[in-house]
Amino acid sequence: MNTIPIRHKWEPYLWLLPSLALMCVFVVFPIGIVFKLSVSEISKSGVVHGFIGLENFRAAFRDPAFGTVMLNTAVWVVSVVGLSTLLGFITAMALNAEFFGRKVARSIVVFPWATSLVIQASVWNYIIKGEYGNLNNVLLNLGVIKNAVNWRASYQIEFAWECGVGIFVTIPFVAFTVLAGLQSIDDAYYEAATVDGAGFWRKLWNVTIPLVKPSLTVCTVLNIIYVFNSFPIIYTITKGAPANKTDTMVTLLYMRAFYDNQKGPATAMSVIGFGILCVCAGAYMMITMRKEEG
Amino acid sequence: MRPNTPEVVRRANALALIAALLCAALVVACLCLPLYSFSATVFAKKSGNTFVGDEKYKEVRAEVEAEARARADAAGTLPEIVENVTERTNSKGEKTSMVAFEVRQVMRRSGWQFIASGLPGGKLLLAALIALVLALILLGAGLAGAFETDWPALPGGKRRPRQIAAALGLIALILVPVFMMSCNLSFSRHIKLAADGFPKPGTDALLHKLDAFLYGGTAGENTLNLMGGVNYRPTWALYGMLAALAGFTFCGVLLADGHPGATMARALLYAFIIALCALILYPYYVMVITGFRSNAETTDMYFQHLLPTKWVWSNLSDIINRGVPRYLLNSLLLSVGATAIALLCGIPAAYAMARMNFAGKKAFLGFVIMSQMFSPVVLLVGISRLMNSLGLNDTVWGLMFINAAFNQAFAIWLLRGTFVSISSEMEQAACIDGCSTVSAMLRVLLPMAAPGIVTTLIFVFINAWNEYTISTVLISTAANKPITVGITQFSSFNMIEWQYLFAAALVATIPVVILFMCIEKHLAAGLTAGGVKG
Repeated sequence: MNTIPIRHKWEPYLWLLPSLALMCVFVVFPIGIVFKLSVSEISKSGVVHGFIGLENFRAAFRDPAFGTVMLNTAVWVVSVVGLSTLLGFITAMALNAEFFGRKVARSIVVFPWATSLVIQASVWNYIIKGEYGNLNNVLLNLGVIKNAVNWRASYQIEFAWECGVGIFVTIPFVAFTVLAGLQSIDDAYYEAATVDGAGFWRKLWNVTIPLVKPSLTVCTVLNIIYVFNSFPIIYTITKGAPANKTDTMVTLLYMRAFYDNQKGPATAMSVIGFGILCVCAGAYMMITMRKEEG
Repeated sequence: MRPNTPEVVRRANALALIAALLCAALVVACLCLPLYSFSATVFAKKSGNTFVGDEKYKEVRAEVEAEARARADAAGTLPEIVENVTERTNSKGEKTSMVAFEVRQVMRRSGWQFIASGLPGGKLLLAALIALVLALILLGAGLAGAFETDWPALPGGKRRPRQIAAALGLIALILVPVFMMSCNLSFSRHIKLAADGFPKPGTDALLHKLDAFLYGGTAGENTLNLMGGVNYRPTWALYGMLAALAGFTFCGVLLADGHPGATMARALLYAFIIALCALILYPYYVMVITGFRSNAETTDMYFQHLLPTKWVWSNLSDIINRGVPRYLLNSLLLSVGATAIALLCGIPAAYAMARMNFAGKKAFLGFVIMSQMFSPVVLLVGISRLMNSLGLNDTVWGLMFINAAFNQAFAIWLLRGTFVSISSEMEQAACIDGCSTVSAMLRVLLPMAAPGIVTTLIFVFINAWNEYTISTVLISTAANKPITVGITQFSSFNMIEWQYLFAAALVATIPVVILFMCIEKHLAAGLTAGGVKG
């Protein structure tokens, strides 16, 4: 084993202490506060009045926007995680092939990852803006379209754009995690498969996918968490308008907590969201693990 | 791969050559057919106070029919006359009627007519045709004397011309959609802009050509009005030409390689990469050109250029006066602080996780993963309360600690991956020599792990630099805002100053993108090393 001898039994814990302390104060403590607030009565001025059981949860479920927002969240997470995984995988396969200008292409693909989400979202907000938006400008001046198109004709279309931006910014993360997995595959596997007469698709199915699966699993679990918690895209492009029709859970709870001054129901939503995440990420991990064993 | 017999090669080449020639013939045939059909009002006449059937109506009708006859084509077909009757009862209770006549002409223009017109589209078609002819000549040169040679044995002098022929076919193929775009520009964009009073330079010359192209030079001054009412659409012949050129390109590849699979896959790869890079760079192009435009231009729906007409460098000095340097400084402070704290806490933890065996190791790993589950957004209410009680609300310090804490998981993960990949033999030796564990780590491991540490450092730095949500809640004083929050002042509810927003965004983005490009190579490897071996 790649280890060093330990002098005292408690030595490792001493090494962990700074990290543990930092996370306890700034992560665990707020978690505790949120759980406590979710079962407490909070006045409009923010004073905590004491235990009220599940009243906040009831209020959260009664929220007129709750149903729409849950559906939106599901669409948001499934479409963004699903499509960005698929497209990211294809991107990784492409970037792993040898071609002229590969270094440049790889550098370009990291761009969205390195850019703040709020900036990305602002740019796309401008791109699809009414008649003067840049997409119309570019397409008209290139002659691709005859007339200016209203790119945000309805809130459904706006939400689809938001999902699109979400996919766009998530692809690099998937692509680079998968790329690392691809690079670690020994060429001998492919050579053996070629000798056996396997074509591209069979190699993909029987060699590539099983071998990058661990990286893919990690990256999908992380993506589910990040995408569920993603806030700036929706907040910048539509702010949930009209009437919370394009909100996801996270933007709704932000609005409820900091605009509508409903901290109680908002914390209850936090807890609900956390529960959902635990279930989804846990289930995904269990399923992939079981498949690997079976 | 088994070599092909001359007989097999000859048959395959003959088939491909015949197909290529057929495709080329089809392209020429399509050029003779109408590529676009125009439906245009060539003459319009409104006659007020006219009832269908009365004297005035007959008079106007005769005039319109004369116009239509005058516009009959060579075959003597008359254009269609459309009449629109509007009947109203006015305020005095009298019935009024107005008749509007339109002479609508369906005009079809073939490829040769396009080429003869001198319109930009015609030039593109001509270029496609020349490419096709050149390709045919090269195919001939490439096939002559080597018709039965198996492809792997083809000498370069025979293979190269065939490859160039296929490439020329591809160019011709691409020129067809470009031709269609050019037609949109000529028939729609220029006309609409000129009609709305924003003529592009060269619109007059274009109108003159359009007059000659569509009206045989009879429209003159009236061309702009007439063109405004023109509907146009591509005919099936144009799509046929597209298919024929695709077929020609395919045959070219077939003749050059014998097995088009690999070449097509290659072409697909390049097409994908180019499309992907174009898509990714597009928002950055928007940022650059919008950041240097004037405010009026950013919201101009008639804006005719792909680049700013004048690069407005004063946008940069304007954002400097609007507090952007202060925001950048805050961001820098916050990111450096967060990175320092995250690494100071993360390196020992990652070291213990990589090098020591102890009870609760798995539990700590689980704890780290759990902390990833809770994004700061979900915990915002809790965080802002905590910051209040610590007195760190509305300070850069508070942001520093929060960012460090929420990046712990990633830092530990990346660092542990790096440490695990380095052998511990040297440290063991150092320990036996009497070095303490701490100095073994500091002197032996860290120098070797430097690339991984730099990667982690940059990664945490960028995450902190780009963080937006917590800052927007915790910071209310303008002087304490980091850049991500600071730039939102340019997009207030009633007025968005796009040019300042994107100039500032550009300043905030460029350094980070460059940093990220530096670690791109190591980052992915670190991510999987940490994750997969976990």
